[in-house]
Amino acid sequence: MTFLEQDTPTASPTNRVLASQGNAEAEIGDFDGLAVLAKAGPHDVNPEPVRKPSFPVYVFRTVNELRFIKFAFFSFVVNALRRRYQRSVLGFAWSLLSPLLMMVVLTTVFSILFKRDPKSYGIFLFTGMLPWQFISESIASSCTAITAAEGFMKKVYIPKIFFPLVNASTEFINFCLSLTSMIILALIVGMPLHWTVLLLPAAMVLTFAFVCGVSLAVSILTVYFRDFQHLVRVILTSFFYLIPIVYPLSMIPEKYQPIFACNPFTYFVMLYRALIYDGRVPSLYEWLMPAGIAFVSLIVGFYILMKREKDIIFRL
Amino acid sequence: MPSRIEVNDVSLRFRIYRNPSPGLKETFIRTFAPKSGDSGAIEFDALKNVTFSLQGGDRLGIVGMNGAGKSTLLKMLVGIYPPQSGTIHVEGKITPMIELGTGFDHELSGRENIYLNGSLLGRSFKQMRGLEEAIIEFSELKEMIDMPIKYYSSGMLGRLAFSIGAIVDPEILLLDEIFAAGDAHFVQKAMGRLLELFSNSQIVIFVSHDLEQLKSLCNKAIVMHKGKIVNQGNPEDMIDYYLEEIVAAQYATAF
Repeated sequence: MTFLEQDTPTASPTNRVLASQGNAEAEIGDFDGLAVLAKAGPHDVNPEPVRKPSFPVYVFRTVNELRFIKFAFFSFVVNALRRRYQRSVLGFAWSLLSPLLMMVVLTTVFSILFKRDPKSYGIFLFTGMLPWQFISESIASSCTAITAAEGFMKKVYIPKIFFPLVNASTEFINFCLSLTSMIILALIVGMPLHWTVLLLPAAMVLTFAFVCGVSLAVSILTVYFRDFQHLVRVILTSFFYLIPIVYPLSMIPEKYQPIFACNPFTYFVMLYRALIYDGRVPSLYEWLMPAGIAFVSLIVGFYILMKREKDIIFRL
Repeated sequence: MPSRIEVNDVSLRFRIYRNPSPGLKETFIRTFAPKSGDSGAIEFDALKNVTFSLQGGDRLGIVGMNGAGKSTLLKMLVGIYPPQSGTIHVEGKITPMIELGTGFDHELSGRENIYLNGSLLGRSFKQMRGLEEAIIEFSELKEMIDMPIKYYSSGMLGRLAFSIGAIVDPEILLLDEIFAAGDAHFVQKAMGRLLELFSNSQIVIFVSHDLEQLKSLCNKAIVMHKGKIVNQGNPEDMIDYYLEEIVAAQYATAF
């Protein structure tokens, strides 16, 4: 944002702001001579090529850069988990207990409302609830991933992708724990076990990819618009009712079905329901939609990162 | 491989936002009604047209008043701030000894923090395993090392941070006003180690307000003032210049 002034030293402050809004592209272009440099990081500052890296090259480099700090990455994730349950008597059991208690409440309310057998409805509910909690919790908490790490990023060089990714990974591990324990619990209660649960890892990888992309995007957007974090929470809360979590998709009248088909979250939630509750293998369409959405979210996340990486530190 | 640093015409302008991140409302207003308010940003040049080059054997001292841009320059070499214009070319691995102890996790033990901190300095797990014992020994924290560092005294934390930073001989060393914490005995030991680092590194950039120390340790110096390099040459002349021209001028305007 700031170097625009160097090109147009005479511009008045107000004009400058206006121009920088409109010319974001051109302005970042000016940066590129230096992009290579900073990208290469502290230990391998690359001298010669002053050309802009293409998008795939950029993504590869960004991910590759993480290799150098994988121990720090690992340790941040572990500590985040440890801190979450630290000093609580039940510790990690809370990763199971909190969704369980929430589900008891919801099951009681909705099984009466929908007149359904509480046991099978409970299982129906958790197959939708757990993935949704994972998605919404990671997105909501990732909003502040970069802004909260301000003190850190101004003292040591650390790739910008680090903190959003730590956040998403932490939530993911938490999700793995609660999903496993919920399935075991459901089996004890008498849920029939379908072999299709073996396909769960594929669904989980897709969900994780989707969450990573969105987390990256929202964490950067929050740097520019701090209001964003509050907005995101409201949107996520309303989505809880727009996704077939407490009700089956078949309950929705035919004419409203297209609206649900537009909701990207639905596809992820439905995968889990098919694999655990229905015990059927999702159709190709049901796999390709979430895969495509996850892919797009990663592209968007990395694209925003590429465009804004050099500027973020000046906005904190 | 010989190390080299070339900083060519680098400028960095900070914008201090009264409100660093404008929020949706302000952005909306600014975009659609730019006349209705000011941009809310105060600008200053943290670095302006900074050019210098260093090669193996150079020990560069940087002097300047507070806010002259010394630390910003070091942070830029580390990669924290990308330059907004100009180029930086670095050959060799940079070991920053600025902000020692950043990233310490107070819930973790000393030993775990050695790995965490080392990782943030870009060292591999394997490399750190080789260095672990030497670090513990240098810091003299053997009995405490498996205890969470929240129970450490500040002197002990300083010792640990210094030991992690100083254990490997760097190719390029960046030092920002480092004075080892701890008791007299450790300070002496640390100073000894610093002198070793000075002679073992290929390039050292040293920012200090201790002018005598700077004079004895460096063979080149630059004087910075308000983000610009105002003079460069040998340390004695530069320190004289700094004291006579800049510090004196500052006092003259102050009284």
